[in-house]
Amino acid sequence: MSASAPRSIDEYLKQLRAALEGEDPALIQDALYDSEEYLRSEVAAHAGKSEGDVLELIASTYGAPEEVAAAYRATDAQVSKALRTPPRPTAAAPASAWGKFFGVFLDPRAYLSLSFMLLSLATGIIYFTIAITGLSISVGFAILIIGVPFFLAFIGATRVIALGEGRLLEAITGERMPRRPVHPGPPATLWARIAEMLKDRRTWTTLLYFVLMLPLGVLYFSVAVTLLSAGVGVLFAPLAAAGASLGWFPSDIHATVAGIDFDQYPLVATLVCLVLGVLILTLLMHLARAVARGHVRLAKALLVERGA
Amino acid sequence: MDDSQARKFQKDLNAGLVALVLLAVLDRTSEDLYGYEIAKRLQRASEGEPLFKEGTVYPVLRALAAEGLLTSRIVPSYAGPPRRYYRITDDGRAVLRQWSEIWHRTRGFVDRFIEGTEL
Repeated sequence: MSASAPRSIDEYLKQLRAALEGEDPALIQDALYDSEEYLRSEVAAHAGKSEGDVLELIASTYGAPEEVAAAYRATDAQVSKALRTPPRPTAAAPASAWGKFFGVFLDPRAYLSLSFMLLSLATGIIYFTIAITGLSISVGFAILIIGVPFFLAFIGATRVIALGEGRLLEAITGERMPRRPVHPGPPATLWARIAEMLKDRRTWTTLLYFVLMLPLGVLYFSVAVTLLSAGVGVLFAPLAAAGASLGWFPSDIHATVAGIDFDQYPLVATLVCLVLGVLILTLLMHLARAVARGHVRLAKALLVERGA
Repeated sequence: MDDSQARKFQKDLNAGLVALVLLAVLDRTSEDLYGYEIAKRLQRASEGEPLFKEGTVYPVLRALAAEGLLTSRIVPSYAGPPRRYYRITDDGRAVLRQWSEIWHRTRGFVDRFIEGTEL
């Protein structure tokens, strides 16, 4: 590959992308972004020279695509070692299966994941509304002159939101997501830019993600709320049963759990409630973590440009 | 004797030094700088052959920002993609003082042997 030195910025970026093949797509997006900032600034600084001449200089100052790729690989490996995977509290005591099972309560990510599930209904509604409204207005405006700037602004907004969503998901799961927006490419005419957006697979997969977020959000939210209320309800059922036996509620209520009557076997019933409640809540925490991990994979597939 | 060994030695040295130099550059300046500007300042400062490729500056900037030693903001630009401007944080200044201290000690120690005063 080093045989043919790049003669244009596009060629350089293409070679850089090839050299980073197989790396995290988010890392590739950041590396391309940084390089493009440098290359365009350098070309702009040498106003008199052709792009090809400037790129010849760049091999010795900025570095060839392979060198730059190696620098990103090395730094990202160091950074991931230093801070991308904070030591998990559960990792400290990986001892027993019990420890692993209940250790989920010590994992901050499990709580974040649960909040994500509860929040996803709201974000799902917002994303869905933005995607459908923006798309329908764009189609409606298409025959008018204001349709052009509207469509550009709409797609630009979806990209900003997608970046924010990525940052949020990285905070929750620790999975690397892009830290820079995808940059729109060299200055081009409005029409060229619109054509590019229409051709870009990611424009459509981002909209698909926004639309999908509504049903997914409803599902996540319902599952989280159902299990949360079931778990908490069962956990505190003995209190309610005690209240009933003290005559706080109408006396014809008979509390039973798993066929065991509270009035007959109060201790056994209480124990069953506690075990069942803790079990449901623990399973919910594990489920939340798994859902967040699965979701970030979906988000990565739809929101981040594939390398290659 | 080819210079691949020299290059490897330089690369190993640079692993930590580039980060130290970047912190120092951003500590000395009152304005925020973006990647290209920083790279050019380093290029101007180097005598003869530059010690490292400017392309290696960017990933280190990102790593320092990820560690909270730098903050950054994005500013639109006419020349190309929006530029990311960096500024050193208080944590970054504390780390810089610590690292400078280590650098001075290391340099003094190495020099004593190379110049043969400590034999």
